[in-house]
Amino acid sequence: MADGFTGTTLRINLSNGEIKKLPTDRKLMRDWYGGRGIVAKICYDEVPRDADPLGPDNVFIITSGILSGAFTPGGSKVEFGSVSPLTNGQGDSNMGGHLGPALKFAGFDLVIFSGISPKPVYICIDNDKVEIRDATKYWGMGSLDCEHVLKQDLGEDFEIATIGPSGERGILFSCISHDFGRQAGRTGQGAVMGSKKIKAIAVRGNKAIKVHNLEALYKHTYDIIQRTKEHPNMEPWQKYGTSFFIRWSNDNAVMPTRNFQTTWYEDVEKIDGESLVTKCLVTHKACFGCWMNCGKYSKAVIEGKKTVFAEGPEYETGALCGPNLGMHDINHVVYINYLLDNYGMDSMSGGGVMAFAMECFEKGLITEKDLEGHTMKWGSIDDVEHFLDMVVNQRGIGAWFAGGTRKAAEKIGKGSEKFAMQVKGQEMSGYDGRWAPGMLLSYMTADIGAHHNRSWTITVDMAEGRETTEGRAKIVIYLQHIRPLFDTWCSCRLFWGELDITPEEYAEAMNLITGWSDTIDQALKVSEKIWNLNRCHYLERNKANGRTFDYPPARSWEDKIPSGPGKGKGVSLEQVEAMLDDYYRERGWDKNGNPSRALLEDLGMGFAADNLEKSGFLGKPLEGGIPKVRGEKYKPKAF
Amino acid sequence: MIVYLKAGTQLREHLKPDVDYYTRKVETPEGMTLKQILESIGVNPGFVAFAYTDGKMKNLEYIPNDGEKITLQPPVSGG
Repeated sequence: MADGFTGTTLRINLSNGEIKKLPTDRKLMRDWYGGRGIVAKICYDEVPRDADPLGPDNVFIITSGILSGAFTPGGSKVEFGSVSPLTNGQGDSNMGGHLGPALKFAGFDLVIFSGISPKPVYICIDNDKVEIRDATKYWGMGSLDCEHVLKQDLGEDFEIATIGPSGERGILFSCISHDFGRQAGRTGQGAVMGSKKIKAIAVRGNKAIKVHNLEALYKHTYDIIQRTKEHPNMEPWQKYGTSFFIRWSNDNAVMPTRNFQTTWYEDVEKIDGESLVTKCLVTHKACFGCWMNCGKYSKAVIEGKKTVFAEGPEYETGALCGPNLGMHDINHVVYINYLLDNYGMDSMSGGGVMAFAMECFEKGLITEKDLEGHTMKWGSIDDVEHFLDMVVNQRGIGAWFAGGTRKAAEKIGKGSEKFAMQVKGQEMSGYDGRWAPGMLLSYMTADIGAHHNRSWTITVDMAEGRETTEGRAKIVIYLQHIRPLFDTWCSCRLFWGELDITPEEYAEAMNLITGWSDTIDQALKVSEKIWNLNRCHYLERNKANGRTFDYPPARSWEDKIPSGPGKGKGVSLEQVEAMLDDYYRERGWDKNGNPSRALLEDLGMGFAADNLEKSGFLGKPLEGGIPKVRGEKYKPKAF
Repeated sequence: MIVYLKAGTQLREHLKPDVDYYTRKVETPEGMTLKQILESIGVNPGFVAFAYTDGKMKNLEYIPNDGEKITLQPPVSGG
């Protein structure tokens, strides 16, 4: 069948070593689109609600989406999914590079792991040949180091994803690495992979992908390529990647500085995009089929330390491991990027965890005695290095931080919960939301905790007024449908966000590949279904009303911004509550933040309403009924 | 003097290009910063992350030269 799917799903039971090749459930793919959608549905269906995310009953899924590897702009992503040990809800994370296309070229739509291997293994997929191989000699290696060795052992033409010692040891914010610098960072997918004793996945494939209308797809993509070549944003993107954004973020007072204590960093010019490009850049890097080459491969040279290489820092790592840690030297930020990458830790959560530790030290909540005679001071690369060593080896209080800032704050107490900058257990992205209320609402309501990838509203906040919360809910909801759609398609969203490729053009590519005829509105409906499925799953697992989990840390409303262009600004708790009320109403959820039956049935998800009702958390009927359309595309009135 | 400003995405709509799809020609007194030029044509400088000219990033305090072609880079859709 020429529909972009390979037609084969791999199921691997690691407990007994059984490998099964099964027909892909095309109806499931049709209903949930693949990528983020299919992992959400499989986890919802197959993982018992009381399963330990690091136990044998969790599944671990790898998939490439419809657009990955299929000659579409940005079609490079691979999606990982499981129940997250960090949030105890549905978790997913994706990355660029070449693994997603390779999986498809090898002939597999999905790989679903269950059980736990009795010993460390790596999975080798060489076209039709699938093997579980002994990984004892690789266990303990850094992520980057392991990929290097495996490339030597297997061949350069294998695409390889690895975990580091962090994932092996169950540190909850562990990531999965690939292509010496791409990471599936968020929600602890590396910890789940490590819990199953999978050290690496190596894939080589050279089969064709059969698509519905190759000639039209070729023309469609070729036209896009020509347009993007002329686009004014292309050249700066190619030169700086997302690191150029550091200055803007700082100038507009959303830069997380010293654990989100303030929002403007006085030494930003020492760690911004220009300093990266002039002092550390070695070469640009691109993902499969992409000509934007936003990746920046960099070198850190620090006296007394070994010279290291890392891909990055992109904006998030640059912000969260730069101003958020009080760093003064771009080489230090690159070095931290390398440490986190090789340990196999999410650099966003890693930055958040370190910043939290620094503030705890500043306030005397942890001491030199706790830190084995070391300090944890702002801007100290030596302190960072020692601290991360404690965390990855879970020595002393390092074990507290291995669970992320929420768990560390539970251990430390003494009011530290106030500045554990996380929602639902996942650390915040690199934007402070106190003077960007839509961004704060985005963090509060994201299904995977405080992650900007679901919704990003800083320019909306600037256009509509940074001190009002009016009207943010509808915009956030729309963004929470359109942005994750790219994760469902397994395509990079930067061509949409930065180079004017429209969502309609992405939907058209999907239809040319599959033979479907879905409009973008239909695609957004699928995205809305996935969103609500994840919400239902979360409530059933966590056995409480949704509202319980949707609050940001108290710093968000108690501490006004103390310095810089945003001095004195911030939201109140009343505004936080009002935003949540508005958001739930616009979502078709009740005041407790629980989806209503009317909404779920409108989405064709009566099964989810039945399950939620059995769990006791089905939302009450809404007075006046549910909104006919949830979410509204933002139309800027004026810049 | 004349300055050519180029922008894509939503910034392009507010720039109101008149030379080609992306570019607007602006006549401006010498010595004005980019920030001042943008304000003079009704574009909020806060929506420009940086300017890019001759292969280099410039901030909005940059003073353009006569005839210079400058790309205005809006903020990304999140990092």
